Amino acid sequence: MSWRDALALARKGVTRRLGRAFLTVLSVALAAALLTALLTIAQTGRTEVLRQLAKGGPLAGIKVVAAAPDPAQIANDNARPGPPKDLGDDAVRAIAGLPEVDSVVPVVTSRMIFLPPDPPVRADTPKQPSAKVPRFFFETMVGVDMNKSSLLPVTLLAGRLPSAESLTEVAVTTGYLERLELNPLEPEAVLGTELEMGSPRVFESLGDQPLRAQWQRTVIVGVVAQEAAPGQVLAPIQQATLGRDWTRQSDAEPEGDFSIPTSPYSGLVVVARGLDSIGKVRTQITRIGYSTSAPENLIASVQRYLRVIEIVLASIGAIALVIASLGIASALLAAIRERRREIGVLKAIGARDRDVLRIFLIEASLIGAIGGAVGTLAGALIAQAVGSVVNGYLIGQGLLPIDLDLSPLIIAGGVIGSTVLAFAAGTVPARRAARLPAKEAMGVV
Amino acid sequence: MPNRAACRLRLASVSLSTPRPLESGLAIEVRGLTHSYRSDGRELRVLGDLDFNVEPGGYTSITGASGAGKTTLLTLLGGLEPPHAGCVQVGSYDLRLLSGDDLAAYRRSSVGFVFQHSGLLETLTALENVELAFTLSGTSQRRRRHKAKTLLSAVGLSERAIHQPAQLSGGERQRVAIARALANRPGLVLADEPTGNLDEASAERVVALLEELHATSRCTLVLITHNPSIAARADQRLLLTGGKLTPA
Repeated sequence: MSWRDALALARKGVTRRLGRAFLTVLSVALAAALLTALLTIAQTGRTEVLRQLAKGGPLAGIKVVAAAPDPAQIANDNARPGPPKDLGDDAVRAIAGLPEVDSVVPVVTSRMIFLPPDPPVRADTPKQPSAKVPRFFFETMVGVDMNKSSLLPVTLLAGRLPSAESLTEVAVTTGYLERLELNPLEPEAVLGTELEMGSPRVFESLGDQPLRAQWQRTVIVGVVAQEAAPGQVLAPIQQATLGRDWTRQSDAEPEGDFSIPTSPYSGLVVVARGLDSIGKVRTQITRIGYSTSAPENLIASVQRYLRVIEIVLASIGAIALVIASLGIASALLAAIRERRREIGVLKAIGARDRDVLRIFLIEASLIGAIGGAVGTLAGALIAQAVGSVVNGYLIGQGLLPIDLDLSPLIIAGGVIGSTVLAFAAGTVPARRAARLPAKEAMGVV
Repeated sequence: MPNRAACRLRLASVSLSTPRPLESGLAIEVRGLTHSYRSDGRELRVLGDLDFNVEPGGYTSITGASGAGKTTLLTLLGGLEPPHAGCVQVGSYDLRLLSGDDLAAYRRSSVGFVFQHSGLLETLTALENVELAFTLSGTSQRRRRHKAKTLLSAVGLSERAIHQPAQLSGGERQRVAIARALANRPGLVLADEPTGNLDEASAERVVALLEELHATSRCTLVLITHNPSIAARADQRLLLTGGKLTPA
């Protein structure tokens, strides 16, 4: 008997007792739903926790600063940098050439004078701030290649990122909102407002007031959380470079809020090929001569705890699935008791033991597959529902919503796992059916 | 109810429409057949040192009281279990030497069973029940569907092809069972009280159908019955009593 013919007979066998089949499938479906929901929630939690640790950037991201390494700090996640050291294209090329480095994104910072609009929010914003807006303030602009924003620890909170080539668009952090005593939970309020900024330069010839600025009018197009470098304004790298170059032409060292930069780049964000490579890459960059930091120890530690949680949750689902499999075995044993004569007839008209075995194994697998498919779908829906509730809470708290991490692996695992377990559970009853003597057909014991 | 002539015509048409002739009747030779069951720790001897022959294409009826061992004899002839002692030779098959898949192959290719309870699978339609025998012998799906329809038509049930056993009368179920028994073109048809659960008219029709099958296919027919008038129609009539066979 072919597998196809056995499948047709098994299908009829499953539908023979619809009520029993329904209950058996339901038990598998509930177990599969539980397993899928738990694994999806655990996976989503894991992704979100790690994303938080990576500050929106890649998990294998390493920050390099234009400073020599402090030998005592090398293994620390947040290593304190040593004395300043220029970081130029040669260093970038050397780091990018390391075998376990995936990408290198330069970061340029520029200390600037900012003139916020008054009021500092859009005209259509219902609530106007009561606090007085400062006439100007010094702040750092962080310039990065916006085309590589996915490789940077930058999370968009509202609006969009500035265009990569633009000299008139910037994004600000929630620190900017707090500085202007705006509600950080309403970042949209500053979108579209103008921000004037000036790159300072010292002209010695001007005597007592040697400071002058090159002014640029920009529009705030987005609000972000960023950890590429300290600074409340994020802009395309050209803007920061222009400002930095202007400041570097100062005749003398200024006093107070800014200094003349000497390094072409303020820092780098280096992405290693994997979490396992972070330590090695940091060591190699240290050898090149620069200070690095990366939350590798924290991530490794958190990952260990997350793995334990995942194992516990998966075990709960797996136990449910095993219980459901025992239900399948029990239902099949009952079916075989009822169908002794039918099995005998099958053998009397020529079925071999393995034909009978095949029919009952397929019956068990069918129950597992149907239950698994229904349960996995239900589990995914349950996880979606839980995700919606969680997102409602997060949004209410002014936090970013989470993206449900419904992995195809979990879906495939739910269906295939249920089927395989059901197949295994059906082995004993199926072997028992296959061993029934053909004389059962006659009702002879 | 179609008469015997009509049944003969239809069965003849089955023979003509199929290229391979039905397997000719198989001779049965039983020597020193002894069989017993274990019940409550005691050995219960059912058949004791039986000797008998059935000619190829013969029609034999076996009668006897309930519990005499008629059904046990049929299970041994049909290869449903091996004999404990003695020799059962059916055609070229020495059933003592067969087991497992070989015994299944013997049943599949050479034996057609008609049970008292019809033995139809309740979840399958009449057509699918007949097809099942072809399925087990590895016939392609298209061919087996066609053959099963032809056989159902031969037993006068083409109109009931899509009905499940529960929707058929007792007589109709037995006719479907006969159609299924025909599927393997068996050399030996074993009928275990096929009329036991039927009224007189249905019983007559079922026996007539079996006799037509026997006549047209030249198969060997062994029929177990309690009904003396049906038993009397056989060429060889045997009585099983006290574990021994005697001419009736």
